[in-house]
Amino acid sequence: MSPPRANQALEGPRLVLHDYELDADCYKVRLLLALICAPYERVAVDVHPGHEERSPAYLALNPRGSLPILEQDGLVLAEAEAILLHCAGLLPGGGALVPESAADHARMLSWLFFARGPLAAAGLARLHAMLEAPGDGPALERQALAAFRVMEDHMTAQRLAGSDWFVGAAPSLADIALFPAIALSRDFGVDHDAYPALRRWMRRLRALPGFVTMPGIPDYH
Amino acid sequence: MTDPAVPAWHAVALAADIEPGTSAGARLHDRELVVWRDSGGESHVWEDRCPHRGMRLSFGFVRGNHIACLYHGWAYDTAGQCRAIPAHPDLAVPETIRVPTYASAEASGLIFVWSEMGATPPSPPAARPLTALRSLFVEAAPERVAALLAGRFAPGPDGSFAGRLVGADVVLFLQPFTADQTGLHVTIDGAGDGALVSRAAEALRHAIEAAAPSRFASLEFAA
Repeated sequence: MSPPRANQALEGPRLVLHDYELDADCYKVRLLLALICAPYERVAVDVHPGHEERSPAYLALNPRGSLPILEQDGLVLAEAEAILLHCAGLLPGGGALVPESAADHARMLSWLFFARGPLAAAGLARLHAMLEAPGDGPALERQALAAFRVMEDHMTAQRLAGSDWFVGAAPSLADIALFPAIALSRDFGVDHDAYPALRRWMRRLRALPGFVTMPGIPDYH
Repeated sequence: MTDPAVPAWHAVALAADIEPGTSAGARLHDRELVVWRDSGGESHVWEDRCPHRGMRLSFGFVRGNHIACLYHGWAYDTAGQCRAIPAHPDLAVPETIRVPTYASAEASGLIFVWSEMGATPPSPPAARPLTALRSLFVEAAPERVAALLAGRFAPGPDGSFAGRLVGADVVLFLQPFTADQTGLHVTIDGAGDGALVSRAAEALRHAIEAAAPSRFASLEFAA
Protein backbone atom coordinates (compact mmCIF):
# COMPACT_ATOMS: atom_id res chain seq x y z
CA MET A 1 0.00 0.00 0.00
CA SER A 2 1.47 3.28 -0.99
CA PRO A 3 1.83 6.02 1.59
CA PRO A 4 -0.51 8.98 1.40
CA ARG A 5 0.58 11.35 -1.31
CA ALA A 6 2.58 14.33 -0.18
CA ASN A 7 0.09 17.13 0.13
CA GLN A 8 1.97 19.39 -2.24
CA ALA A 9 -0.94 19.29 -4.65
CA LEU A 10 -3.29 20.29 -1.89
CA GLU A 11 -1.04 23.13 -0.86
CA GLY A 12 -0.99 24.50 -4.39
CA PRO A 13 1.31 27.15 -5.77
CA ARG A 14 2.96 29.62 -3.41
CA LEU A 15 1.51 33.07 -3.97
CA VAL A 16 3.01 36.29 -2.66
CA LEU A 17 0.89 39.43 -2.97
CA HIS A 18 2.56 42.80 -2.56
CA ASP A 19 -0.35 44.71 -1.17
CA TYR A 20 -1.56 48.04 0.20
CA GLU A 21 -4.66 47.88 2.38
CA LEU A 22 -6.26 51.09 1.03
CA ASP A 23 -5.56 50.34 -2.65
CA ALA A 24 -8.73 49.44 -4.55
CA ASP A 25 -6.78 47.42 -7.14
CA CYS A 26 -5.05 45.38 -4.44
CA TYR A 27 -8.48 44.78 -2.93
CA LYS A 28 -9.69 43.19 -6.19
CA VAL A 29 -7.01 40.52 -5.81
CA ARG A 30 -7.64 40.01 -2.09
CA LEU A 31 -11.35 39.67 -2.83
CA LEU A 32 -10.82 37.03 -5.52
CA LEU A 33 -8.42 35.03 -3.36
CA ALA A 34 -10.88 35.20 -0.45
CA LEU A 35 -13.81 34.09 -2.60
CA ILE A 36 -11.93 31.00 -3.81
CA CYS A 37 -10.33 30.38 -0.37
CA ALA A 38 -6.80 30.49 -1.80
CA PRO A 39 -4.01 30.88 0.76
CA TYR A 40 -1.37 33.50 0.02
CA GLU A 41 1.40 35.41 1.65
CA ARG A 42 0.80 39.13 1.99
CA VAL A 43 3.61 41.69 1.95
CA ALA A 44 2.38 45.09 3.18
CA VAL A 45 3.85 47.95 1.14
CA ASP A 46 4.10 51.44 2.64
CA VAL A 47 2.44 53.38 -0.17
CA HIS A 48 1.25 56.33 1.89
CA PRO A 49 3.24 58.21 2.95
CA GLY A 50 6.34 56.10 2.14
CA HIS A 51 5.88 55.57 -1.66
CA GLU A 52 7.73 52.32 -1.13
CA GLU A 53 6.29 50.93 -4.37
CA ARG A 54 8.57 53.41 -6.17
CA SER A 55 11.68 52.53 -4.15
CA PRO A 56 14.65 51.10 -6.08
CA ALA A 57 13.94 47.63 -4.68
CA TYR A 58 10.30 47.69 -5.82
CA LEU A 59 11.12 49.25 -9.19
CA ALA A 60 13.51 46.36 -9.73
CA LEU A 61 10.58 44.00 -9.12
CA ASN A 62 7.98 46.02 -11.04
CA PRO A 63 9.31 48.90 -13.17
CA ARG A 64 5.76 50.29 -13.46
CA GLY A 65 5.90 51.36 -9.81
CA SER A 66 2.36 50.10 -9.25
CA LEU A 67 0.51 47.73 -6.97
CA PRO A 68 -0.63 45.03 -6.70
CA ILE A 69 2.24 42.74 -7.64
CA LEU A 70 1.84 38.97 -7.58
CA GLU A 71 4.81 36.62 -7.36
CA GLN A 72 4.35 32.94 -8.07
CA ASP A 73 7.15 30.47 -8.80
CA GLY A 74 9.35 33.04 -10.55
CA LEU A 75 6.49 34.81 -12.30
CA VAL A 76 6.17 38.51 -11.39
CA LEU A 77 2.86 39.96 -12.50
CA ALA A 78 1.53 43.54 -12.28
CA GLU A 79 -1.96 44.99 -13.00
CA ALA A 80 -4.92 43.72 -10.99
CA GLU A 81 -6.98 42.42 -13.90
CA ALA A 82 -4.07 40.36 -15.26
CA ILE A 83 -3.55 38.93 -11.79
CA LEU A 84 -7.26 38.08 -11.54
CA LEU A 85 -7.12 36.21 -14.84
CA HIS A 86 -3.96 34.36 -13.88
CA CYS A 87 -5.24 33.33 -10.44
CA ALA A 88 -8.61 32.25 -11.84
CA GLY A 89 -6.84 30.02 -14.35
CA LEU A 90 -4.33 28.65 -11.87
CA LEU A 91 -6.23 28.05 -8.65
CA PRO A 92 -8.93 25.55 -7.69
CA GLY A 93 -12.35 27.17 -7.84
CA GLY A 94 -11.10 30.00 -10.02
CA GLY A 95 -12.48 28.52 -13.22
CA ALA A 96 -16.03 29.04 -12.01
CA LEU A 97 -15.43 32.80 -12.23
CA VAL A 98 -14.48 32.69 -15.92
CA PRO A 99 -17.35 32.11 -18.38
CA GLU A 100 -16.92 29.15 -20.69
CA SER A 101 -18.64 30.42 -23.82
CA ALA A 102 -16.46 32.49 -26.13
CA ALA A 103 -18.99 35.34 -26.22
CA ASP A 104 -19.36 35.59 -22.45
CA HIS A 105 -15.60 35.28 -22.01
CA ALA A 106 -15.17 38.24 -24.34
CA ARG A 107 -17.90 40.17 -22.50
CA MET A 108 -16.05 39.58 -19.25
CA LEU A 109 -12.81 40.85 -20.82
CA SER A 110 -14.68 43.87 -22.12
CA TRP A 111 -15.74 44.76 -18.56
CA LEU A 112 -12.20 44.17 -17.28
CA PHE A 113 -11.01 46.72 -19.83
CA PHE A 114 -13.83 49.04 -18.78
CA ALA A 115 -12.58 48.78 -15.19
CA ARG A 116 -9.14 49.92 -16.38
CA GLY A 117 -10.51 52.52 -18.82
CA PRO A 118 -13.53 54.76 -18.14
CA LEU A 119 -13.96 53.49 -14.58
CA ALA A 120 -10.36 54.34 -13.67
CA ALA A 121 -11.58 57.93 -13.19
CA ALA A 122 -13.40 56.78 -10.03
CA GLY A 123 -10.15 55.47 -8.55
CA LEU A 124 -8.37 58.72 -9.39
CA ALA A 125 -11.22 60.82 -7.97
CA ARG A 126 -10.98 58.82 -4.74
CA LEU A 127 -7.22 59.27 -4.45
CA HIS A 128 -7.64 62.97 -5.23
CA ALA A 129 -10.23 63.35 -2.44
CA MET A 130 -8.52 61.14 0.13
CA LEU A 131 -4.80 61.50 -0.41
CA GLU A 132 -4.70 64.80 -2.30
CA ALA A 133 -3.32 63.06 -5.38
CA PRO A 134 -3.00 65.53 -8.27
CA GLY A 135 -5.89 65.78 -10.72
CA ASP A 136 -8.93 67.79 -11.74
CA GLY A 137 -11.39 66.66 -9.03
CA PRO A 138 -14.67 67.85 -10.62
CA ALA A 139 -13.68 66.48 -14.04
CA LEU A 140 -12.73 63.10 -12.56
CA GLU A 141 -16.04 62.99 -10.68
CA ARG A 142 -18.02 63.70 -13.87
CA GLN A 143 -16.15 60.92 -15.67
CA ALA A 144 -16.78 58.55 -12.76
CA LEU A 145 -20.50 59.40 -12.84
CA ALA A 146 -20.60 58.65 -16.57
CA ALA A 147 -18.99 55.25 -15.95
CA PHE A 148 -21.34 54.46 -13.05
CA ARG A 149 -24.30 55.27 -15.28
CA VAL A 150 -23.09 52.77 -17.88
CA MET A 151 -22.88 50.15 -15.13
CA GLU A 152 -26.29 51.07 -13.66
CA ASP A 153 -28.01 50.83 -17.05
CA HIS A 154 -26.30 47.51 -17.76
CA MET A 155 -27.33 46.01 -14.42
CA THR A 156 -30.88 47.29 -14.92
CA ALA A 157 -30.95 45.41 -18.23
CA GLN A 158 -29.44 42.34 -16.56
CA ARG A 159 -32.12 42.41 -13.84
CA LEU A 160 -34.84 42.66 -16.48
CA ALA A 161 -33.22 39.67 -18.23
CA GLY A 162 -33.23 37.72 -14.97
CA SER A 163 -29.53 37.89 -14.07
CA ASP A 164 -27.90 39.25 -10.93
CA TRP A 165 -24.42 39.55 -12.50
CA PHE A 166 -22.55 41.59 -15.09
CA VAL A 167 -21.92 38.69 -17.48
CA GLY A 168 -24.23 35.72 -18.01
CA ALA A 169 -26.04 34.19 -15.05
CA ALA A 170 -23.16 33.71 -12.60
CA PRO A 171 -20.54 35.86 -10.87
CA SER A 172 -17.34 36.35 -12.86
CA LEU A 173 -14.08 38.27 -12.65
CA ALA A 174 -15.98 41.22 -14.15
CA ASP A 175 -18.02 41.60 -10.95
CA ILE A 176 -14.86 41.53 -8.83
CA ALA A 177 -13.05 44.09 -10.99
CA LEU A 178 -16.01 46.50 -11.10
CA PHE A 179 -17.07 46.30 -7.44
CA PRO A 180 -14.44 48.42 -5.62
CA ALA A 181 -14.94 51.64 -7.61
CA ILE A 182 -18.65 51.95 -6.86
CA ALA A 183 -18.44 50.44 -3.37
CA LEU A 184 -15.84 53.09 -2.46
CA SER A 185 -17.51 56.02 -4.25
CA ARG A 186 -18.53 57.64 -0.97
CA ASP A 187 -14.83 58.28 -0.37
CA PHE A 188 -15.13 60.99 -3.03
CA GLY A 189 -18.64 62.11 -2.15
CA VAL A 190 -20.79 60.05 -4.54
CA ASP A 191 -23.65 58.30 -2.75
CA HIS A 192 -25.52 55.28 -4.05
CA ASP A 193 -28.93 56.97 -4.05
CA ALA A 194 -29.16 57.07 -7.85
CA TYR A 195 -28.00 53.49 -8.42
CA PRO A 196 -30.73 51.02 -7.39
CA ALA A 197 -29.52 48.31 -9.78
CA LEU A 198 -25.93 48.61 -8.55
CA ARG A 199 -27.09 48.56 -4.92
CA ARG A 200 -28.91 45.31 -5.59
CA TRP A 201 -25.87 43.83 -7.37
CA MET A 202 -23.54 44.91 -4.56
CA ARG A 203 -25.80 43.16 -2.03
CA ARG A 204 -25.63 39.96 -4.10
CA LEU A 205 -21.86 40.20 -4.34
CA ARG A 206 -21.47 40.86 -0.62
CA ALA A 207 -23.53 37.74 0.09
CA LEU A 208 -21.09 35.45 -1.77
CA PRO A 209 -19.36 32.99 0.60
CA GLY A 210 -15.90 34.25 1.53
CA PHE A 211 -16.61 37.91 0.70
CA VAL A 212 -14.25 40.33 2.47
CA THR A 213 -14.38 44.11 2.80
CA MET A 214 -11.68 46.78 2.86
CA PRO A 215 -11.54 50.08 4.76
CA GLY A 216 -14.31 52.29 3.34
CA ILE A 217 -16.64 49.39 2.61
CA PRO A 218 -18.84 48.80 5.66
CA ASP A 219 -18.88 45.28 7.02
CA TYR A 220 -22.39 44.50 8.14
CA HIS A 221 -24.03 42.06 5.75
CA MET B 1 -45.58 69.36 -8.69
CA THR B 2 -41.91 70.32 -8.76
CA ASP B 3 -42.26 73.30 -6.39
CA PRO B 4 -40.76 72.41 -2.99
CA ALA B 5 -43.15 74.86 -1.31
CA VAL B 6 -46.19 72.85 -2.44
CA PRO B 7 -46.53 69.59 -0.46
CA ALA B 8 -47.23 66.55 -2.62
CA TRP B 9 -46.89 62.80 -2.92
CA HIS B 10 -43.76 61.78 -4.81
CA ALA B 11 -42.45 58.37 -5.86
CA VAL B 12 -38.94 57.86 -4.46
CA ALA B 13 -38.21 54.22 -5.34
CA LEU B 14 -39.51 51.07 -6.95
CA ALA B 15 -40.95 48.93 -4.16
CA ALA B 16 -38.95 45.95 -5.47
CA ASP B 17 -35.69 47.91 -5.24
CA ILE B 18 -36.01 48.21 -1.46
CA GLU B 19 -35.72 44.57 -0.48
CA PRO B 20 -36.71 43.33 3.01
CA GLY B 21 -33.96 44.05 5.53
CA THR B 22 -32.29 46.74 3.41
CA SER B 23 -32.05 50.53 3.32
CA ALA B 24 -31.23 53.10 0.66
CA GLY B 25 -30.66 56.81 0.52
CA ALA B 26 -33.01 58.98 -1.55
CA ARG B 27 -33.43 62.68 -2.12
CA LEU B 28 -36.49 64.85 -2.38
CA HIS B 29 -36.06 68.58 -3.07
CA ASP B 30 -32.41 68.20 -2.01
CA ARG B 31 -33.37 66.76 1.38
CA GLU B 32 -31.80 63.44 2.32
CA LEU B 33 -34.20 60.59 3.04
CA VAL B 34 -33.64 57.01 4.06
CA VAL B 35 -36.03 54.47 2.56
CA TRP B 36 -35.89 51.15 4.33
CA ARG B 37 -37.88 47.96 4.62
CA ASP B 38 -38.09 45.95 7.81
CA SER B 39 -37.85 42.18 7.72
CA GLY B 40 -41.63 42.01 8.10
CA GLY B 41 -41.90 43.68 4.69
CA GLU B 42 -43.13 47.13 5.70
CA SER B 43 -41.37 50.15 4.16
CA HIS B 44 -40.46 53.38 5.97
CA VAL B 45 -39.22 56.80 4.88
CA TRP B 46 -37.40 59.01 7.36
CA GLU B 47 -35.02 61.89 7.52
CA ASP B 48 -31.65 60.32 6.67
CA ARG B 49 -29.81 61.49 9.75
CA CYS B 50 -28.91 59.76 12.99
CA PRO B 51 -29.68 62.23 15.84
CA HIS B 52 -26.42 61.22 17.50
CA ARG B 53 -23.75 62.40 15.05
CA GLY B 54 -25.70 63.22 11.92
CA MET B 55 -24.51 60.14 10.02
CA ARG B 56 -26.78 59.08 7.16
CA LEU B 57 -28.90 56.19 8.43
CA SER B 58 -29.02 54.81 4.88
CA PHE B 59 -25.38 53.79 5.36
CA GLY B 60 -26.51 51.66 8.30
CA PHE B 61 -28.10 48.26 8.52
CA VAL B 62 -31.53 46.79 9.13
CA ARG B 63 -31.98 44.11 11.76
CA GLY B 64 -35.50 42.75 12.12
CA ASN B 65 -37.75 45.75 12.66
CA HIS B 66 -34.96 48.16 13.61
CA ILE B 67 -32.51 50.21 11.58
CA ALA B 68 -29.12 50.88 13.15
CA CYS B 69 -26.57 53.59 12.47
CA LEU B 70 -23.26 52.53 10.94
CA TYR B 71 -21.26 54.77 13.29
CA HIS B 72 -22.22 53.63 16.78
CA GLY B 73 -25.08 51.21 16.28
CA TRP B 74 -27.88 53.33 17.72
CA ALA B 75 -30.98 51.34 16.78
CA TYR B 76 -34.39 52.82 15.92
CA ASP B 77 -37.78 51.12 15.83
CA THR B 78 -40.32 51.53 13.03
CA ALA B 79 -41.68 54.73 14.61
CA GLY B 80 -38.24 56.35 14.54
CA GLN B 81 -37.79 55.99 18.30
CA CYS B 82 -34.29 55.09 19.47
CA ARG B 83 -34.45 51.79 21.38
CA ALA B 84 -30.84 50.78 21.94
CA ILE B 85 -27.46 52.46 22.37
CA PRO B 86 -24.78 49.74 22.33
CA ALA B 87 -22.25 51.82 24.31
CA HIS B 88 -24.83 52.14 27.13
CA PRO B 89 -26.68 48.83 27.15
CA ASP B 90 -28.38 49.50 30.50
CA LEU B 91 -29.63 52.97 29.61
CA ALA B 92 -33.38 53.55 29.29
CA VAL B 93 -33.22 55.52 26.03
CA PRO B 94 -34.98 58.91 26.38
CA GLU B 95 -38.12 59.40 24.27
CA THR B 96 -36.56 62.55 22.84
CA ILE B 97 -34.06 60.55 20.77
CA ARG B 98 -36.21 60.10 17.72
CA VAL B 99 -35.71 60.35 13.96
CA PRO B 100 -38.19 62.63 12.13
CA THR B 101 -40.37 60.55 9.80
CA TYR B 102 -42.33 61.09 6.61
CA ALA B 103 -45.68 59.60 5.72
CA SER B 104 -45.23 57.00 2.99
CA ALA B 105 -47.30 54.49 1.09
CA GLU B 106 -46.83 51.79 -1.51
CA ALA B 107 -48.97 51.72 -4.63
CA SER B 108 -48.52 50.60 -8.24
CA GLY B 109 -45.19 48.98 -7.40
CA LEU B 110 -43.73 52.28 -6.15
CA ILE B 111 -42.95 53.81 -2.77
CA PHE B 112 -44.51 57.26 -2.40
CA VAL B 113 -43.62 59.80 0.24
CA TRP B 114 -45.50 62.92 1.35
CA SER B 115 -43.00 65.73 1.00
CA GLU B 116 -43.85 67.48 4.30
CA MET B 117 -41.89 65.98 7.17
CA GLY B 118 -44.05 64.70 10.03
CA ALA B 119 -47.30 65.89 8.43
CA THR B 120 -50.55 63.96 8.21
CA PRO B 121 -51.14 63.77 4.46
CA PRO B 122 -54.24 63.45 2.30
CA SER B 123 -54.84 59.91 1.05
CA PRO B 124 -51.95 58.50 -0.98
CA PRO B 125 -52.03 57.99 -4.77
CA ALA B 126 -54.57 55.33 -5.74
CA ALA B 127 -53.13 51.96 -6.68
CA ARG B 128 -53.19 51.40 -10.43
CA PRO B 129 -52.52 48.20 -12.37
CA LEU B 130 -49.06 49.32 -13.47
CA THR B 131 -45.85 47.29 -13.78
CA ALA B 132 -42.98 49.18 -12.16
CA LEU B 133 -40.03 48.79 -14.53
CA ARG B 134 -37.06 50.87 -13.40
CA SER B 135 -35.83 54.15 -11.96
CA LEU B 136 -33.43 56.42 -13.73
CA PHE B 137 -31.89 59.75 -12.86
CA VAL B 138 -31.64 62.70 -15.19
CA GLU B 139 -29.02 65.42 -14.88
CA ALA B 140 -31.52 68.26 -15.35
CA ALA B 141 -33.66 70.44 -13.09
CA PRO B 142 -37.05 68.94 -12.08
CA GLU B 143 -39.10 71.86 -13.42
CA ARG B 144 -37.25 71.66 -16.74
CA VAL B 145 -37.81 67.90 -16.96
CA ALA B 146 -41.50 68.38 -16.15
CA ALA B 147 -41.83 71.04 -18.85
CA LEU B 148 -40.11 68.85 -21.45
CA LEU B 149 -42.16 65.77 -20.54
CA ALA B 150 -45.37 67.81 -20.76
CA GLY B 151 -44.66 68.37 -24.46
CA ARG B 152 -44.78 64.64 -25.17
CA PHE B 153 -46.74 63.03 -22.33
CA ALA B 154 -50.06 63.80 -20.65
CA PRO B 155 -49.63 65.13 -17.11
CA GLY B 156 -51.95 63.42 -14.62
CA PRO B 157 -53.46 64.84 -11.43
CA ASP B 158 -51.05 62.72 -9.34
CA GLY B 159 -48.01 64.33 -10.93
CA SER B 160 -47.40 61.46 -13.32
CA PHE B 161 -46.91 61.63 -17.09
CA ALA B 162 -48.71 59.16 -19.35
CA GLY B 163 -47.77 58.39 -22.93
CA ARG B 164 -46.12 55.88 -25.23
CA LEU B 165 -42.56 54.57 -25.51
CA VAL B 166 -41.65 52.06 -28.25
CA GLY B 167 -45.27 51.03 -28.63
CA ALA B 168 -45.97 50.51 -24.94
CA ASP B 169 -48.25 52.62 -22.74
CA VAL B 170 -46.10 54.02 -19.96
CA VAL B 171 -46.64 56.19 -16.92
CA LEU B 172 -43.63 58.15 -15.64
CA PHE B 173 -43.43 59.38 -12.04
CA LEU B 174 -41.16 62.34 -11.44
CA GLN B 175 -39.05 62.73 -8.31
CA PRO B 176 -37.60 66.22 -7.66
CA PHE B 177 -34.24 64.90 -6.53
CA THR B 178 -32.02 67.96 -6.18
CA ALA B 179 -32.12 71.39 -7.82
CA ASP B 180 -30.40 69.93 -10.90
CA GLN B 181 -31.20 66.22 -10.82
CA THR B 182 -34.52 64.49 -11.38
CA GLY B 183 -35.61 60.92 -10.75
CA LEU B 184 -37.94 59.22 -13.21
CA HIS B 185 -39.73 56.06 -12.17
CA VAL B 186 -40.93 54.21 -15.25
CA THR B 187 -44.02 52.01 -15.17
CA ILE B 188 -45.75 50.11 -17.97
CA ASP B 189 -49.53 50.25 -18.29
CA GLY B 190 -50.57 46.94 -19.83
CA ALA B 191 -48.36 44.87 -22.10
CA GLY B 192 -44.89 45.93 -23.18
CA ASP B 193 -41.37 44.65 -23.68
CA GLY B 194 -39.58 45.73 -20.50
CA ALA B 195 -36.08 45.61 -21.99
CA LEU B 196 -37.12 47.76 -24.97
CA VAL B 197 -38.99 50.28 -22.82
CA SER B 198 -36.00 50.48 -20.47
CA ARG B 199 -33.68 51.36 -23.35
CA ALA B 200 -36.20 53.85 -24.71
CA ALA B 201 -36.26 55.49 -21.28
CA GLU B 202 -32.46 55.85 -21.49
CA ALA B 203 -32.88 57.55 -24.87
CA LEU B 204 -35.50 59.83 -23.33
CA ARG B 205 -33.05 60.70 -20.54
CA HIS B 206 -30.44 61.53 -23.17
CA ALA B 207 -32.87 63.73 -25.09
CA ILE B 208 -33.87 65.62 -21.93
CA GLU B 209 -30.26 66.20 -20.94
CA ALA B 210 -29.40 67.41 -24.43
CA ALA B 211 -32.33 69.85 -24.36
CA ALA B 212 -31.83 71.05 -20.80
CA PRO B 213 -28.17 71.75 -20.16
CA SER B 214 -27.09 71.53 -16.54
CA ARG B 215 -23.72 71.62 -14.90
CA PHE B 216 -23.53 67.87 -15.53
CA ALA B 217 -24.88 67.96 -19.07
CA SER B 218 -21.60 67.00 -20.68
CA LEU B 219 -20.96 63.68 -19.00
CA GLU B 220 -17.72 62.88 -20.67
CA PHE B 221 -15.61 59.78 -20.67
CA ALA B 222 -11.91 59.93 -20.05
CA ALA B 223 -10.05 60.29 -23.31
